[in-house]
Amino acid sequence: MNPFWDNIFRRSGYEQTLTYFLSTMPMFKMLNKRELTFLENIVHVRNYEADEIVFNEGDIGSGMYSIRSGQVQIYNLDDQGQETEQAILNPGDFFGEIALTASRPRCASARTTEPTVLVGLFRSDMMEAVRRHPAPSAKIMLGLNRVISDRLLQCSLELTKLKTQLNDNREQLTDA
Amino acid sequence: MLSQNNMSRAQVAVLYLILTTAIASGIAIYSSASTITALLKTATAGLFLPLLISLIVSFLLDPLVYFFEGNKINRTLSIFIVYLLIFSFVGLLLFIIGPPNWKGMAQALKADFPRYIEQAIEFLNRLLVVAQEHFPFIVHYDIAERISSASQSFLGMILKETPRSAMRIGSLLLLVPLFTFFFLRDSRRIVRSLISLTPNRYFEMVLDIYATVSWQLSHFIRGRVLEALIVGLVVWVGLSLTDIRYAPILAVVAGASNLIPYIGPIVGMIPGLVIALADLGMGGEFWWILCVYLLIAQILVDNFILIPILISKVSNLHPLWVILAIVMGGKLYGILGMIIGVPIASIINIVIIATRQHRKTFNPYQRYFTTRGKLL
Repeated sequence: MNPFWDNIFRRSGYEQTLTYFLSTMPMFKMLNKRELTFLENIVHVRNYEADEIVFNEGDIGSGMYSIRSGQVQIYNLDDQGQETEQAILNPGDFFGEIALTASRPRCASARTTEPTVLVGLFRSDMMEAVRRHPAPSAKIMLGLNRVISDRLLQCSLELTKLKTQLNDNREQLTDA
Repeated sequence: MLSQNNMSRAQVAVLYLILTTAIASGIAIYSSASTITALLKTATAGLFLPLLISLIVSFLLDPLVYFFEGNKINRTLSIFIVYLLIFSFVGLLLFIIGPPNWKGMAQALKADFPRYIEQAIEFLNRLLVVAQEHFPFIVHYDIAERISSASQSFLGMILKETPRSAMRIGSLLLLVPLFTFFFLRDSRRIVRSLISLTPNRYFEMVLDIYATVSWQLSHFIRGRVLEALIVGLVVWVGLSLTDIRYAPILAVVAGASNLIPYIGPIVGMIPGLVIALADLGMGGEFWWILCVYLLIAQILVDNFILIPILISKVSNLHPLWVILAIVMGGKLYGILGMIIGVPIASIINIVIIATRQHRKTFNPYQRYFTTRGKLL
């Protein structure tokens, strides 16, 4: 097909929608069309300017965000007020998921570096969804669980690697 | 003519013009604003009550609608099912009992009402005489005259207002189901779009506060209305065992007055006791009726069974605040204000508690302090 017509008839429609964006996220891959529409009704789309703070370290968190477009910087402030950058997140990444299941203080600050669109999934909405529509909510939570478990696995692998490295270094020091 | 301190003639003229325009536009804006608010006031005058009632009804029906809503049935259809059920239930009730005999009831009330008032006044007079015997310094105060004139005007008002209130009830019967339908179907969407207007920085806080407030409010309203219904039912059954007349009306009064904490139940008791005294005398039945009102309905059913089950989940206000809310609500909106004063006070309470939890988010200088409050 002619690329011009292709643009008009295929690209511009479905791939621009929030549903499509959600379906590309790894944690929501298992959801079918109906469940994606359900999810679309419980998330909030928020628009941020460049250099706007999403949340600060120590705030009481109430949910997770995923990046639809733009860029977010995660950083910590130490006692001297020095910033340490933890990560730069790009479209498709998510952050703040610790606050989704329990109200915990945020363990890092988040700030946008350019105009950004975030899709927020919040605890109060999730709780209501779990109570009223258990089946799709369970699927959403399972997908999240899978992704977070993967992260945990990677973290523990990393930790074991670092531990062996530390032991090696210590042995080298005692040898020297 | 140009010096450093004095302005030129042209500058003075411009300043004068600007000031005049500013004042004129200020007056214009002020007057148009007051006309606009006046217009808004007249436009929304009759809407407060139907909106409030449909809000309460939608809170009550929400669990039912969710009960029917499922994979196959969407929300709109489920609302229609609930409506159908309610209308058929009411229709069935009317079919079994028969349409209420309004005319007969009004005539009986018109005949009986002065008699009851007379009896009450006589009783009060006797009480006054006794009081004056013991405390002679009480000046003779014509309580009987005042009460009888007040009750006369009250009865007149009831008889005059009945056709008008019937019309209002007719419009309520039309408006409330309509509003309730839209509240039930779209309340989530409306609230979501309202919340999405908040600035990014306060969004999470507002969302959390809204979740707490709506949970508590829905439990509070459902609990209160159910409580009033059950208390009314208990009073009705209790009174039906005696020979007292107007038992259904008295039960409705008792239930409705039960919506106002502390003061309501006492006020709701008075008409029943007056009628009992006038018709049945100071016999065993009178004591049974007092027992029904006080011991069974209030203490046993309400305090020991209903309040622990229905209301205790909701954050409790201190009784002092409750009484203040009732008094202030009564000053503002009369009996309606007394009923809605307490939930509004508890909403304010919940909001204050939730914002205190989130006060860190509120602090604009937070960047310059550590988490322990030390200056960076």
